[in-house]
Amino acid sequence: MNRNYIYLTFLILILAAGVFFLPERNNEKHLNPEQLMYEIARPTRFITTDQIAQMIIEKDPTLELIDVRSEDQYAEFTLQRAVNIPLDSLVAESYQDYLGIEDMNAVFFSNDDIKADQAWVIARRMGYNSIYVMKGGLNCWINTIINPTKPVETASSEEFEQYNLRRGASMYFTGAEISADEGSKSSLKVTRKKKKAVAEGGC
Amino acid sequence: MISETHNEKRPNYLNPYFGGLLLGLLLLAVFFLAGRGLSATGALKLSIATVENIIAPGHVENSTYWSKFIPEDGSSPLFNWLVFAGLGTFFGGLISGAVYGRLGKLRVEHSPKINAKTRLVAAGIGGILFGIGSQFGRGCSSGAALSGTAAFSFGGLLVLMLMFGVGYVVAYFFRKLWI
Amino acid sequence: MWLLIFSENYGYKKIRIMGPLIPQGLIIGQWDFVIALLIGMAFGFILEASGFSSSRNIAGVFYGYNFVVLRVFFMALVVAMIGLLYFDYFGWINMDLVYVLPTFLPSMILGGVIMGFGFIIGGFCPGTSFTAAAIGKLDGFVFIGGVFIGIFLFGEGFPLFEEFYTAGALGNITIGEVIGMSNQMVTLGVTIVALVAFWGTWLIEKRVRKNIKLFKF
Repeated sequence: MNRNYIYLTFLILILAAGVFFLPERNNEKHLNPEQLMYEIARPTRFITTDQIAQMIIEKDPTLELIDVRSEDQYAEFTLQRAVNIPLDSLVAESYQDYLGIEDMNAVFFSNDDIKADQAWVIARRMGYNSIYVMKGGLNCWINTIINPTKPVETASSEEFEQYNLRRGASMYFTGAEISADEGSKSSLKVTRKKKKAVAEGGC
Repeated sequence: MISETHNEKRPNYLNPYFGGLLLGLLLLAVFFLAGRGLSATGALKLSIATVENIIAPGHVENSTYWSKFIPEDGSSPLFNWLVFAGLGTFFGGLISGAVYGRLGKLRVEHSPKINAKTRLVAAGIGGILFGIGSQFGRGCSSGAALSGTAAFSFGGLLVLMLMFGVGYVVAYFFRKLWI
Repeated sequence: MWLLIFSENYGYKKIRIMGPLIPQGLIIGQWDFVIALLIGMAFGFILEASGFSSSRNIAGVFYGYNFVVLRVFFMALVVAMIGLLYFDYFGWINMDLVYVLPTFLPSMILGGVIMGFGFIIGGFCPGTSFTAAAIGKLDGFVFIGGVFIGIFLFGEGFPLFEEFYTAGALGNITIGEVIGMSNQMVTLGVTIVALVAFWGTWLIEKRVRKNIKLFKF
């Protein structure tokens, strides 16, 4: 009996010491490549410029716009209340506070959507979940929201409907007197990411 | 000092280290499945909330403590993980008692130095203290001390150390109950 | 671990899932209550089979005649802590989603003290009282009744000490964060303390009590 207990004691000590040799698990939940490829093929990450315009006009509190162009381009022109995370600094520690804020939907955008999509892939690989891409980027934004093209006479009524909405949005965004914070780059209030205690517990 | 009737047949218990191993594995299982630990007081707490809700729903709504446990969609507070776990604990004990032949008629187990009535009074008082204490401590021995500490919670360790520490300190004063 | 899912475009795909399952919504329907029941049953069985259905066994740890509480408790703690760290490494569990009991300093201190008294006087803790009641111990039933009364009293008197109850909130803080050690060090520390306690109590039993079997109730 005693000898078994001695073996058991050593076993427990070895297992307990073994935990020191386990590599530290980073909090980044790495996706494996197959999963990532599967997700890239799905178009659900794209949000249209119409939807973004609507969310801005309605002051949707969950919208977080992230401009992934360079700082100079961001300073020159950007969308209302967008923050700037240059693509090449996306993985920097200092910018991580902007991503992964609970209940916020982060939408990447760039001039067209190539850089924004790259940002999406990188952020997804880092494990962030509610991230999206604005389809067409700022070029599309200009062509649809700021200067919408009038549909031809034979177009469907939905297209006219959409054109009218876009014209309304255009006036909202470019109207001189109304929105005082049009194009303002007031940075998003960053709350420190709290450790998510998702499960219930206690008794 | 030892009464004969208590020790005629030595009860057949598991090796405590083995029992501890099983309990530890169970904790791992419950963390894996539910992300939380075990707890017994949860079931009792929700039962009281249910009864109070039936008898005096207005009071429950106004109360800052009880109102937290009544789900908003009108379903019973008993429809909760903790209650099912508590029921399971009872039945698990029943099964084990049956398997090991420890089921018996209603009896009061007490040290031969005191009588049954004293023991029952002490059990009642102990229960009341535990009921109050477990709410302050956010858990009982299984919920806070065991499961909490296993998940590396500081509060769990605090409750564990205090519970046993205070127990050792006051054990002397209540020794008549036990030895 | 891996789960097979079927998608229309890609046929069968293996995706990775991690525990804990229920908080991530990976258990469907009412199966989580079935799991709760089964886990509770395992809990009750283990407690009763280890001897916790007898208050005299439980109180024994405080008087040095029966160390079952110490052995089972510490062993379970060590197994669980080491196990969680290994599970975390294997990717079987996501420690961020595991509920860490939040710390409320003064309230928990008071709770621990009161429960210490309750332990000595009552000889049970709520979980073990369930198993005692299950095998017919009347003092187990009375204990449960006491817990009901205690919780009721607490709930009714809550407005009086609500401030106290929520004071000193340190959040979901871990042991390591408070004393500045990593979880691994904490686990090793607990393991060493546990092993010392196991061998220590064995020595005590050997030296002090010749007829230790007489004290198993």
